[in-house]
Amino acid sequence: MPQQLIKVRPTKIELVKLKRRLSLAQRVQKIVRDRLSILTMEFLETAREAMEAKEKLIGSFSEGYKALSLASGYHGYMALDKELIASEVDPKVIAGLRNIAGVRIPSFELRNNGKIMKGYSLVDTSSWLDYAAQLSKKWLEAIVELAELQRSLELLGIEINRAKRVTNALEYIIIPGLQVTINYLNMKFEERDREEKTRLKRVKMLIA
Amino acid sequence: MPDLVYEKMLQKCVKGELRVVNAGLPRRRKTLSSLLGEEYPHVLCCDGSAHLFKMKELEYLINITSIDEQEVLLLPILIALAEDPAEAVIICEHKVEEHVISEVLNMPMVTVGGKLRIYRPQLVLLRKVLKTTTQYVFSSKIVV
Repeated sequence: MPQQLIKVRPTKIELVKLKRRLSLAQRVQKIVRDRLSILTMEFLETAREAMEAKEKLIGSFSEGYKALSLASGYHGYMALDKELIASEVDPKVIAGLRNIAGVRIPSFELRNNGKIMKGYSLVDTSSWLDYAAQLSKKWLEAIVELAELQRSLELLGIEINRAKRVTNALEYIIIPGLQVTINYLNMKFEERDREEKTRLKRVKMLIA
Repeated sequence: MPDLVYEKMLQKCVKGELRVVNAGLPRRRKTLSSLLGEEYPHVLCCDGSAHLFKMKELEYLINITSIDEQEVLLLPILIALAEDPAEAVIICEHKVEEHVISEVLNMPMVTVGGKLRIYRPQLVLLRKVLKTTTQYVFSSKIVV
């Protein structure tokens, strides 16, 4: 695509101004490009982690469901309900923010998860219930982790799109436009110099 | 007159972009030992928000550092991007950062002039382990 010339008066001052503008635009481009590369790197890493967390969650869910079904078959629903009623604990999730290259990303952390699901009698219950309780800790961790990763993915994706638009505008429109105009002005000045030289030669010839 | 507007717009763009990307930088960094004493370990960022550290990461750092090092290690560790797009520079004020990075990457690292250079794949590994305890710094100047 041919670059459009910026309409300026062909003077040396304009050339200096354009050069200053170009260096400024290149500085912006450097920052935006660095940011884009970091965001892309983080996005890919987050996507990988989200996939792992999802697999972990599904795996522990299916295993935990199996263990809980066996436990309920062994004790009966009523007895299991009675045992588990005392073991209900509200999990404490610490929510905060972290910043990746200007993108505010949520950060969740599960705390005191060691106490979860330990209120039942160890004498009256089977090892299957213990196993299901152990797995429930993993579920909770995986759910919290996945929530953080999913939201991070969305936010990073939006910001990558925005940064890409800015980079493209700088790379394909603003900077080439400035460079073409600077080249045009340089050529114009060279042409003017040549004209001046020829004119002087002609005058010299006429005088001599 | 339009030149001035254009110039101002670009200048604003540089400032705005730098402000946005560096909004997550801490106003004042805290040492690992002081963060351990807090219930919700955090630092205040330039934009006024709080950057929360994960306890899991702090515990990991405790395991790989000595008590003296914990009192010196400033968090978050700052990472700047180098001139070469395949490299990143970790700003090390003390020897402890070098020790931490070596432990995380499982290889010896050497600081040159308070800067430690790592490659992008290593940066990915580092960020995977220390997500909240590292932070990117952006500068329009090129870090050599």
